[in-house]
Amino acid sequence: MPENITAQVEEQQALGGDYHLLRIAGPTIAAAARAGQFVMLGLGDPGEMLIRRPFSIARVIESAEGPVAFEILYKVVGRGTLAFSRLRPGAAMSVLGPLGRGFWLPAPEAPCRPILVAGGIGIAPFPLFVQQLGPAARHAEVIYGGRSAVDLPLAQWFEPRCGTLTLATEDGTEGLRGRITAPLEQALDRADEQEGSCVFACGPHPMLAAVARLCLERQIPCQLALEETMACGFGVCLGCVVPRRHPTDAFDRFARVCTEGPVFDAREIVL
Amino acid sequence: MSTPVNLEVDLGAGLILRNPVLTASGTFGYGLEFEPFVDLRRLGGIVVKGISPRPRAGNPPPRLVETPSGMLNAIGLQNVGVERFIDDKLPPLRERDATVVVNVFGQGTEDYVAVAEALDGKPGVAALELNLSCPNVAHGGFLIGKSPKAVAEVTAAVRRVSRLPLWVKLTPNVSEIVDIAAAAADAGADALSLVNTYVGMVVDVERRRPVLANLTGGLSGPAIRPMAVAAVYQVARAVKIPLIGMGGIVCVRDIVEFLLVGASAVQVGTASFNEPGIAARLVDELAAWCRDHGVDDVRELVGAIEIPR
Repeated sequence: MPENITAQVEEQQALGGDYHLLRIAGPTIAAAARAGQFVMLGLGDPGEMLIRRPFSIARVIESAEGPVAFEILYKVVGRGTLAFSRLRPGAAMSVLGPLGRGFWLPAPEAPCRPILVAGGIGIAPFPLFVQQLGPAARHAEVIYGGRSAVDLPLAQWFEPRCGTLTLATEDGTEGLRGRITAPLEQALDRADEQEGSCVFACGPHPMLAAVARLCLERQIPCQLALEETMACGFGVCLGCVVPRRHPTDAFDRFARVCTEGPVFDAREIVL
Repeated sequence: MSTPVNLEVDLGAGLILRNPVLTASGTFGYGLEFEPFVDLRRLGGIVVKGISPRPRAGNPPPRLVETPSGMLNAIGLQNVGVERFIDDKLPPLRERDATVVVNVFGQGTEDYVAVAEALDGKPGVAALELNLSCPNVAHGGFLIGKSPKAVAEVTAAVRRVSRLPLWVKLTPNVSEIVDIAAAAADAGADALSLVNTYVGMVVDVERRRPVLANLTGGLSGPAIRPMAVAAVYQVARAVKIPLIGMGGIVCVRDIVEFLLVGASAVQVGTASFNEPGIAARLVDELAAWCRDHGVDDVRELVGAIEIPR
């Protein structure tokens, strides 16, 4: 059951290039959060921000007593996120979460080497994913792309925590020049030989469509975390839908990203 | 101890609501989704998402964008259809003793009649609200809602087949809302809901494209409140049946504003997305506001605006 609370900002960290990490107190949300799930965040005052915004839960912060807070990664892109960037520790936010269906992690004994694919701000759900993978993260491969070096603010966080980290930028300022599809294709072709890889991806729609195509062609399991504009976060506004691949009736033609996602099997939806 | 404030209001046709605060269609799902946040019995009523004779897929995404003090949506009346509503949604709502108003949508008169007939005699429905005003579907309600003659025809047709209290929800995207309101009242409506959303558009200037896949959408939220208040004020002076006012209500003073210009009840809409429990909170705050202002009965406020000479 999601919790609807007023919570305190604990920390605001600027990561450069309009990217920020915001830490919010919330033991119940932190304890319940699964990688890929999200929170709706608002400022409480509808005059300033009429509807809350969805953000992936990027990381859970634990104290000796257990989970105490969670973090979101965001980029300043509009009025709402600009207001967020001005929040200081102690500021109050309205928070609803955790929401939606997160990634379903491979069972520890499953022969599945995770390949995490992120485009830009799509890296947001993956620190928690790595946290929740535990020791298995050492076998994980991370492919992280963005427009420019500044769009890879979490690269250093992943470096020591994963098996391999491949960076790609469209302008070539960091890692490979170009999009993530080229290194992903290579990784998948290697995976064809080593049985049991599975892909977890988050990023802009065209990237997700390309990732899904590459995986489906090779029959490699692929989960996609979607981002959509939404007003409520709990299945009511019907603003955040994505077409289903195999609808059963008219009402079923679209799936709600907030409650039926945000993580979908690539075979479920049409991008 | 002062006596408790009376919040009950009379919406005509024998329908008494426990208080004047309802939730607006399309912003409260089928009610059940809000159970984690609000006791449904505390609300004056729940107006459920528009129901059509058959399930509807709605419009392709993007369907929604925030605007200054507002929200533009083009959902396109995605809904489960009347059969599944009766089988799956109505029984649990009845168990919870919620006052349920069913918003009815159709492409033409026969669709409205079909939904009304399907719901006739089904326990747990307090009233019908005919949606003659959704701006986001190409056919049906919206076009009907712009013509006094068509509004009268649909209203009269549903009146003939349904014994339920009948509300008609009007679009403000017309030249004379008073004429439309009068046509609905003369054709047998028991109350009028006003207003539905205003047609709006947002353009992504970098891509030179409309933001919404439907090109235009319906604007809601505080941005439309003064226009909605004016519409209620004008209609209240022209028709005798009760009015239900809505448009950008986010706090108790907004509710009082609608009551003063002539609404007997109000609907809270877009604000429920941001704060799912807001309608129930506003019920308590309305009682407190009345107490603080020496108002023993909320009905004293209805139409009590004073116009300076």
